[in-house]
Amino acid sequence: MDYLVAVLLPQLLHGFVFGAALGLLALGLTVIFGLLGVMNFAHGELYMLGAYAGIVVIGVTQSFWVALVVAPILVGVLGALTEATMLRPLYRREPLYGLILTFGLALVLREGARQVWGGDMRRIPAPFTGSTPLLGMTYPDYRIFLLAISCALLLAIWLFFTRTRAGVLVRAAVQDAEMLDGLGVDVRRLFTLTFAGSAALAALAGLLLAPVFTVYPQMGVEMILLAFIVVILGGMGSLGGSVVAAFVIGIAQSLFSLWMNPQRVAIAIFGIMIVVLIVRPRGFFGREGVLE
Amino acid sequence: MSRTLGWRAAPVFAALAALPAVPGMTDYYLLLAFDALLFGAVAMSLDLLIGYTGLVSFGHAAFFGLGAYATAILLERGILSLWASLGFAVVIVGLYALVVSYFATARRGIYFALLTLVFAEVVFTFFRYTQTFGGSDGIQGVPPPELLPGVTLDTPMRNYYLIVVYLALAWAACRVLVGSHFGKVLVAIRENEDRARFLGYNVQRYKMAACMISALLTGLGGALYPGRAAFATPDLLLWTVSGEFIIMVMIGGLGTLTGPVIGGAFFIVLQEKVSSYVDWYFIVIGAVLILIVLFMPKGLLGLRRLLGARPWRATA
Repeated sequence: MDYLVAVLLPQLLHGFVFGAALGLLALGLTVIFGLLGVMNFAHGELYMLGAYAGIVVIGVTQSFWVALVVAPILVGVLGALTEATMLRPLYRREPLYGLILTFGLALVLREGARQVWGGDMRRIPAPFTGSTPLLGMTYPDYRIFLLAISCALLLAIWLFFTRTRAGVLVRAAVQDAEMLDGLGVDVRRLFTLTFAGSAALAALAGLLLAPVFTVYPQMGVEMILLAFIVVILGGMGSLGGSVVAAFVIGIAQSLFSLWMNPQRVAIAIFGIMIVVLIVRPRGFFGREGVLE
Repeated sequence: MSRTLGWRAAPVFAALAALPAVPGMTDYYLLLAFDALLFGAVAMSLDLLIGYTGLVSFGHAAFFGLGAYATAILLERGILSLWASLGFAVVIVGLYALVVSYFATARRGIYFALLTLVFAEVVFTFFRYTQTFGGSDGIQGVPPPELLPGVTLDTPMRNYYLIVVYLALAWAACRVLVGSHFGKVLVAIRENEDRARFLGYNVQRYKMAACMISALLTGLGGALYPGRAAFATPDLLLWTVSGEFIIMVMIGGLGTLTGPVIGGAFFIVLQEKVSSYVDWYFIVIGAVLILIVLFMPKGLLGLRRLLGARPWRATA
């Protein structure tokens, strides 16, 4: 019982926290892939820029909360500019070019961040410290806040896609962008805004996780690999699948790390993916013929 | 036969063979030429997959790195024969490629890229954390391999000639391959996979074969690397290295054999030269890649058309 409360439960909660944040990242990746056919390799760098933009805004305003609003907007604007100048010319070409272009963009952003902010690890202090007794243990307040806000965001995204006109339009564009264009919707603007939104979500995830993890130019690389695994596991283009897979991976990662050293955890995660792909080649919720 | 082997390339290889005789050729430039040709050959094997078959592999660093580790492991244990390490590399890379290509070719499009990437990451993680193979330091300071008992590949000159021979053989093999019926089926799969399937071709088997050939050529290239560098480190297996291989192919020109060789050589020289002046050369390389995708999708070979040369035949 002690083991359960003192070790297992906190680790399980860590897993939920991490899974929720991973979900924010993977959702943006899935939507962009479904909409634009581009697997965005620079998504991890947008996540990283979110954290650095947060550091800059906190430096100016001394407020984590202002940064939480301003940093995603800054990165979202960068995302919109990227989409309009670099990705838009590629839509009529093979998906391969989008993949390769975003890989180049990731190199530029990563190295750019290293030049501007240096390569050393940084930390953003949590906006509040302290812990709360929870289910017989004490759990840090910031992580509770993180779990709450991530889940609220996931819920808001779900409501956006099911209850608002804009969300329905995005889903319609995933199905058939040409038809939507024919129906008189400004698809180009829709693409740009969706890309900006996905970039802002990645940045938000980066800043939210920064007080828990460390901030460094390479931080996006590890996360993007996990996000790729999540997207594959959930089923390409399936929004719900991405969220479920994010929680599975997040929880698996933190529970495994109780019993294994980090490299075994990484290999175990890959193992989960391979087993799932053998049993269900399209992931949890992937349907035949979708985005293939 | 003479046409499929392309005797036009003979003067190029003659020039490469004569390169060490150029006055002022130092060991530094010979080793740079070694890297340029080695990675040119790797990019060429990768283009068999990307350019001809239409499969983007984001995991070729694993094939290259496994080949390098195969050689380094044997050399470290005192087995110096080059042929032993090439054979060992073929076995290791072949087994791994069999597993990867089986899973990755079962799915279309973006899945192939992501699955090759994730599998390569397993290999990276394995070598990065396995102390038997040196962990994060890799295997350092291995002795040079022996071509024949008593003939040690210990000078840059000998290594350079080895790589010229490797490039020539790999080039000839690819050339025969893309000119053959097999190569034409690969192009057919790239152009329209369903139609190729309806014509009765077992598409997955062709894709797997293309993947295996590309992986083995890359792995053999990797097996030659420790002879020059005296090490094999996990950094060779990083997925960003796979990305660099793709950049080389893109710079040179998709769907050709000559293009990626030029692209690989160009990339290595660019990296070496730019990184000796500034430490932000990744920005330069990333920007070059973005500009090529946007404005020069046919790569450097696309310039030939601008210069008034005959249009390049994408399917050779």
